[in-house]
Amino acid sequence: MNTEDLQYTARTDELLAIRCQLGEHAAFDELIRKWAPPLRRYVARVVNNHDVSDDIMQEIWISVLRGVAGLRDCSKFRSWLFSIAHRTLMDRLRGQYSISIDNDMALDEIAVEDMEARHNEARRIVEGGLSSLPLLEREVLTLFYLQELSLVEVASVLALPIGTVKSRLFRARIMLRDQIAH
Amino acid sequence: MNQNSHKSSSDYNVRLEQLTSHALSAPARFWHVGLLLAALAMSIILIALLVTEPAIPMRTRIAFAVMLAMSLSWMAYSIWVLKNRLTLLANHRIVAGKMAVAFTAIFTVSALATGFFAGKATGFLAAGMGAALLVIALGLLARAKRRFAILHNRRQQLERELAGEKT
Repeated sequence: MNTEDLQYTARTDELLAIRCQLGEHAAFDELIRKWAPPLRRYVARVVNNHDVSDDIMQEIWISVLRGVAGLRDCSKFRSWLFSIAHRTLMDRLRGQYSISIDNDMALDEIAVEDMEARHNEARRIVEGGLSSLPLLEREVLTLFYLQELSLVEVASVLALPIGTVKSRLFRARIMLRDQIAH
Repeated sequence: MNQNSHKSSSDYNVRLEQLTSHALSAPARFWHVGLLLAALAMSIILIALLVTEPAIPMRTRIAFAVMLAMSLSWMAYSIWVLKNRLTLLANHRIVAGKMAVAFTAIFTVSALATGFFAGKATGFLAAGMGAALLVIALGLLARAKRRFAILHNRRQQLERELAGEKT
């Protein structure tokens, strides 16, 4: 997706969120139609199981439906939506999330341009080898490559500094490459 | 995709639609707004009685205090529900604001009438507190209308921009 497409999508999402806040029932149906499949795919990737429990999805949607009225900046709707899913998963998979292995990798080693230029190639590789990675790496790769969130959005979803997201992405890509090489 | 997964996916969509209908249920929201206003009115009357009627026996005072605690609990409960369970969307806030204005206006006028015709200080004190709440209710209604207008304008602007980009 190019920058213009991303901006157009962001504005359609903002419009949808505003219609929900105004109390338009049809907008909620549209919201679910549009976002239920990507959210379900994201959750399936993170929990590493295609048979995602309906309980988790229901819990996420209850939080979304209750929380949308209080969303202050509707232009950040997409990252807000995934951050709700992320928090729900954190509650459910507390044990796995507590194994944090972020290190202080030199940030200048991790060129964002490089990451974005290789986005399409990486996307194909990611889809293939994702299931073999640990949860933290699986999640960051899913958000960045498969859900196509920007680094800023991923940082907002995971409530982490951008530097940590970059190093986690960098590490995840190395792990993925090793996984595929073997 | 096989028949079973089609069925499971449509069941799931039906559940999500039910969830939405429940989450957006207007009667449930306005019932809680009504509960909040009724508990508020009860609390004001009890406070006014406890303050202006020093001659009432101790047992009655205790009974009033217990009733006051109950109505304050109902207020806390309805505020919690409206904040966490049945959050008010922009259009709901306008209706809730109008309900609050109408209710506090009727309450204030009734309390004032009681004060005048029965010559009771309790009525005047309750009317004073009712008037203060009426001002707050008017403020909340104005804020709700402002918020609705901001959202509505932004919606129109986005619709224009997106329509322009499509053509």
